Amino acid sequence: MESYWFGDVEGRACEPAPGDPGLLAERIELLAGSGDACIPDWRIAVRCGALRDRAEYLKRLRDAAFILAEKNLGRTLQLDHSGLIQMVRMLDQLDEVINLLTERSVEWHRATHPGFSRKRTLPADRTLIALIRQDADETLSGLLDEIERLRDQRSLLMKQVSRRAEEVLPNCSALAGGLVAARLATEAGGIRELAVMPAASIQVLGAKTALFSHLSTGTPPPKHGIVYQHGRVHGARRENRGRVARTLSAKLAIAARIDYYRKCADAEFLLNAANAVRRAGRRE
Amino acid sequence: MIWIEGHLVSVGPGGVYGERMLQGCRVWDPKRSKLAALYYLGTELELGPDHRVLYLGAANGTTVSHVADYTEVVYAVEIAPRPMQDLLVVAGSRKNIIPILADAGRPALYRPLVEEVDLIYQDVASPRQVSILLGNVCFLKEGGTAVLMLKPRSIDVTRHPEEVFREAQTEIEEGGLRILDRVLLSPYYPDHLAFLCRRD
Repeated sequence: MESYWFGDVEGRACEPAPGDPGLLAERIELLAGSGDACIPDWRIAVRCGALRDRAEYLKRLRDAAFILAEKNLGRTLQLDHSGLIQMVRMLDQLDEVINLLTERSVEWHRATHPGFSRKRTLPADRTLIALIRQDADETLSGLLDEIERLRDQRSLLMKQVSRRAEEVLPNCSALAGGLVAARLATEAGGIRELAVMPAASIQVLGAKTALFSHLSTGTPPPKHGIVYQHGRVHGARRENRGRVARTLSAKLAIAARIDYYRKCADAEFLLNAANAVRRAGRRE
Repeated sequence: MIWIEGHLVSVGPGGVYGERMLQGCRVWDPKRSKLAALYYLGTELELGPDHRVLYLGAANGTTVSHVADYTEVVYAVEIAPRPMQDLLVVAGSRKNIIPILADAGRPALYRPLVEEVDLIYQDVASPRQVSILLGNVCFLKEGGTAVLMLKPRSIDVTRHPEEVFREAQTEIEEGGLRILDRVLLSPYYPDHLAFLCRRD
């Protein structure tokens, strides 16, 4: 028997496939998976009675192909949880923009206020922006308002990133915090990519410059990248830091795999992992 | 092929990617499409209203839309999800584009969809460019044409382009295709070579 997208043909007998595009798309997927599909010919389809003519052949094929493409598209986009990754990238770019705009406002302010110096210590509850705003003109203070608003948006986004990371990376987030987990996944290029990464790579994710200068010119290797942001790593004594980073990354590699393949938190693993990281920091 | 005042054009609904219009026809820019560049440099390749085309590496559908203006049907294969989103919009406004989200290096996955075609156009920039084309020759009917846009830099940056061209040529011929013509795409695309092949 020869199987085509429009039906099964056996000698002179022919069994047309259902005409619904959704069902056709499923049929095509099955045929592609089985690997023994034949290259179709519209004349067979007409002879078989599945279709009237060439125009109908193309129309039906196109409708089914569209559904198939959209379905596969949804699948690939969902796989890489690009929502989370785009959110982290937005967060980083917001930081960049806020810094640039603040910097420029300070320069502007300095140009019109010769006595102003950045070195002056700020009162505890005042930001640099608030200080400048006191005697800024209308245009500048309008811009300063916008910067403040961007800051508020940034902290909202940060909370959302953490929440989302706790959903899609429950184990990594419990171990390293939602934000660090999300940053690791972003730097790796996706959750699947993080899950298939060796622990040693996770340890230096985000330390690209140091890593490549080590590989090409033999400078000391980086001890940590993004994992440094974890309290136990940057809080550890200098001589212990490398070990804590290594232990944490080893546990994160396991956590990422549980997240990707099992998709739920494993309480026993988390308890053991947290203990191991703590022990690594204590040892002399 | 249709030329108006020295510009290559195609006839179809405009506004696909912000292309210029000339007397109601869509201008086909050789700087944005390697196939257009090939026509500007002169080739015997013709697209006709009864042609069926398998287009590998369809990307955003810029060139695909022009090819579809000239031919009966275009099977457009693209692997990357983001360009595919654009391609679906282009294909939505044209009845003769059949979009396929698949890896051109694994033709078995779209074998049930694609019929025998008159022309295969291979514009996937990959180190395996030539073998991707040869893997799809099963769709090409006897006497059909294959066009390969070879980019030596994506095969091996460290080697001299001429060396890569020669090696590709041998590989194509060993794969059972006869080379009709080879055209360097400079000045539009430096270091690109178009191979025109026939399946006998």
